Order: sequence, then structure tokens, then C-alpha cells
Amino acid sequence: MAIHERSLVDPERVLRKERLVIDGIDVSGDWNLIILPRVIEDYDLSFLDEVLEQPEGKTILQCYQCSYCTASCPVHNYWDERYNPRHFIHLARLGLIDELQKRADVMWRCVSCHKCTHRCPKGVLVEEVLKAILRVMAKRGIIEEYPSKKFDKFFLESVYEYGRIEDGELLFGWIEKQGYQVVKDPILKKPIPFMGGVPEWLKQLAVKPIKSMNIGFLILNAKHMLFHPRTKNWNRFKQVLRKVMEEEGVFTH
Amino acid sequence: MAVALQMRKPPMGGIGKRVAYYPGCSLEGAARAYDVSTRIVAKELGLELDYLEDYNCCGAMETKNVTFWGTMLLNARNMSLAKKQGHSVIVAPCNGCSFSLQRAEYFLETDKKVFERINSLLKEGGVDPLTEIPHTYHILEWFYHEAGPEKVKERTKKPLKGLKVANYYGCLYTRPHFYARTYSHGGTEEQERPRMRETADDDEHPYYMEALLEAAGATNVEFEPMHTQCCGGPHSLSDEQVSEKFVMMILQTAKRNGADIIATECPLCHASLEMYRHRLMMKGVPDVDVPAAYFTQLLGIAFGYGAGDVKLKDNLSDPIPVLKRLGLV
Repeated sequence: MAIHERSLVDPERVLRKERLVIDGIDVSGDWNLIILPRVIEDYDLSFLDEVLEQPEGKTILQCYQCSYCTASCPVHNYWDERYNPRHFIHLARLGLIDELQKRADVMWRCVSCHKCTHRCPKGVLVEEVLKAILRVMAKRGIIEEYPSKKFDKFFLESVYEYGRIEDGELLFGWIEKQGYQVVKDPILKKPIPFMGGVPEWLKQLAVKPIKSMNIGFLILNAKHMLFHPRTKNWNRFKQVLRKVMEEEGVFTH
Repeated sequence: MAVALQMRKPPMGGIGKRVAYYPGCSLEGAARAYDVSTRIVAKELGLELDYLEDYNCCGAMETKNVTFWGTMLLNARNMSLAKKQGHSVIVAPCNGCSFSLQRAEYFLETDKKVFERINSLLKEGGVDPLTEIPHTYHILEWFYHEAGPEKVKERTKKPLKGLKVANYYGCLYTRPHFYARTYSHGGTEEQERPRMRETADDDEHPYYMEALLEAAGATNVEFEPMHTQCCGGPHSLSDEQVSEKFVMMILQTAKRNGADIIATECPLCHASLEMYRHRLMMKGVPDVDVPAAYFTQLLGIAFGYGAGDVKLKDNLSDPIPVLKRLGLV
């Protein structure tokens, strides 16, 4: 028997028997699969309240579980069946924190393509609601540090510091954070892209402009790496930004 | 302090020939080619870009995931700068930037509390508070509406004859309709959404880039539904496996539909496509060797500019051999 959305059923609650006889009647074949009922006791409704407190999470109550979001989601369709936005919203509203925690390894995988938000017939900002759920989970410590969050923070630090970002610095800074060995020049302490333990594909990519004698591109990027592009009069604004982010509890410095 | 928030109707009618130009961080770094070619195309089409002085990063998707108020504040600062320069329209060439500004626009317009708090914070940070919220458009929309295919046709000196293009729009150009205000062009009056705007592209089947490139003489290949499929976006560095698979699907669809080149309109999508194309080719994955170029670069070539003028060498996927074969550069 096929189960629609099989990933939502815990494997330990599914019983499948080769031969099944009930009251002396052989029911093997079509009726050999049983899903044990589940009794929910440990729900926590304060989770929903915390999601609603987030400015982006307000539309969560409009959801009527039609699953249009899940049907549109590229992560669900092309990567992992267990990534199911509709179900995450359902669990958050019921306050089933254990169930959310079981899915913590896929919950961060949203690529922010906004197909779900765009197509939602009820006007739920699905992508934003999911990010609000993730944030509450992180606050409660039921989801561990995940790669995209590390990257988000790394990005935010750069924006906070200079007001602008620089592609090369971001890329090689991230590579270094991943544990690869990045060689830096001794004087300015800036990374040298094509040396050290940088992944091979990236080394080749970095060498490409040199091979094609693209001097303009190299000079521009070297200039940006040396003198980080920054916004003028940023310091005063930075203080306000800091204050706001401290209130939200995201500042880590 | 309470600035009266006027709940305004969505902007209707034209966008204007002279707008504030918000290039974003990428266009002044690795995506310099897009910036240069955009300026060339705008000049040729008789449109004027007024560079937004001293702007800051829009925060992209990464900042949005971490802090709501911080992102609002970053975008409100840019809006305030545009107002200061006397503009009520901002044009951004990057999907991420236009998304961030439009998102801020949405929250500032629909939530009075957000508007008031942001204004008081702006004052504290030494920036003029917002009295009116400027609208943000993607540069493609602007080109289509203020110049249009007819003008492109008129300006074309060297038609892109025989060039088969797959038009890649990416995610945030048309989505979500709450922010981008797109709507279904085939839909009836009742189906139109309340926040739609007249100039916006079709939401599920965008065609502005196709129309402009076709006017420049190129042939468009079938590219649905991959034309709005995600490239990995904000996860292109932090979640390599997923991004690689998405890019593989995009490139293979383009190649198998007979495309010579992929036209892009976002520096992030472009970088992601080129980066993973290189990686996939090193792994020996079949049918992924389609180069990518910004649509403005292709238009620039059609307008008679050389490969150096539109900085084709900056593209890591190297589209020059393809264009050379057709005698375009």
C-alpha cells in the first residue's frame, strides 16, 4: 500500500508483515501494512507565540495546509523529500518541538527561491515564516549551528564593518572558515587565491584571468582586496545598527 | 515624531527616463562587466542613470535571515539617499538588491509601526527620515518599458544572427508577487493581485529579456521551467551539493534545448552558474559547457560595441569562442 508523504511517518511506527492472520482470517497482501497510532502529549504552544512575535512570522496563522508550497519547492522536489515546508508550519503551530528537532538536519536547506511565498493562495509569507521558525529554534537551542547560518553571520559581519561587501574577500574568508589552508602574503595579510590548500577548481578559476591576460579585472580585484570598498559616514550609522541587532540578540561581538 | 504614512496605490504608468541607479556591491567588484555594459546600453537607449552616491549593501538574503530590523535599516538608508538626490524611483540591476529594496518597501508601506520605528532610527543614525517611500524596479523592467524592443531594434547595428539564447531570469526577478508586484499577464481582471503594478513582468512566464534579445536579432530557445529555477542563491557557497545539482539541471536543460549561450540578469546567478559550470566540467558531467553572459553584454554587442567594450573577458565561462564562431566579435 502506498503511503502519501511517506517521509512524514516514523519508520518505527510502520509495521509490515509478510503473513497476517486476524481472527483466523488471512489478510496478507494488500492489508499487510499497519501504521501504529500516535498520541501527542508533549506539545508546547509557547513556540507558536514566539514565532508570532517575529515580524516575519505573523502570517503563519493564515496557512490552511494545502501544500502548494511543498509542491513548488525545489529542495523538496530535487533534493530531499524530507524537506517539507507545509509540514514544518504544521508542526510549529501544534508546538511539536521534538518532531521539529528530528528534522533539524534538513530544515536549514531552504534556498530562498520564494516559489512557496509567491504561489501561496492564502498570502502566507512561507519563506519568511520558515526563517522565523528556524530563528526561534536556534534561540531555544534545539537546532545546532548549520552551514548557512555560519555564512549568514560571516556576511553580516562584513556588511556591519564596512557597509559594503567584497566578493573576493567573502569567498576566500569563507573557504578559510571551512578549514582549508589559505596562504596569505606576509605584509598585507591578504589571501593569495591560487596557493595553499584551496580546492583545485577554485585555484583554476582564480588563475583564469591571468591566463587570459585580463589585466583590468585583476587590478580591480586586487585594488578591492587591498582597499576594502566602504561606505562613507558609516560609523554613526553603524552604532544604530549595532543597537538594533543587540536588541534582537543577534550580535556576537 | 510621527510622519503621516500615506497608503499609496501601486505605481501605475511609466517609470521615468532618469532614475537613481543602485548598482550594489557585486557590480563594483567581480561583476564589473555587468555595470559597464548596463551603462552602455542605457546610453544607447537614451536613458539616464544617476549613480546613488555613498550607498550601502542591501543586506541580500544573508542579512535578512539573521536580522529583520537591521535589514530594514540598511535598505531604508539607501531609500533615503535616493530621496535626497531627488528621485522617487530606484533601479537595481541585481535580483538580490531589487528584492531587498522591494521587501523593505512592502514592510514600510504595510506596517505603520515598522515605518515609524525605522524613521526614528534613521534620524538617530544621521540620515534624513523618509517622508515618502521610493519604488524599486529591476533594470530589465526599466529597459523594457522606457525603451522597449522597438528602440532596441532601431539601435541594433550588428544583429545577433544565429545566436541561440537561453534566457535565465532566476528567482527573485518575478517572485514573490508581494514584493515584486508581478502578475499573470494572461489572467483576467479578477485574477490580478491587489499589489500588482502595470509595468511588472509576467510572474510564471517572464518574457522581457526574450523580447529585447529577439529585437536585437537573437533566437530564443525553449527554457521553461528552468528559466526561473533557483541556482542555489544564498546557499551557493554554504550548501555546495544542492547548488551544484540545481546548476547542473539549468545548464543541461539549456544545452539540450540547443542554446549557444545563457543570458543572465543577476550578478549572483551569473557567478553561481559560472563557478559551478567550471566545477561540473572538471568532474566530467556531460552537457554543461554552455557559457553565460549578461543580457546587457549581448545587447551591447548588437549595438556595435566590441568584446572589450562590454568586458566579455571578465566572464569566467568565456563566451568569446561562441560569438566568434558566429562572427559577432
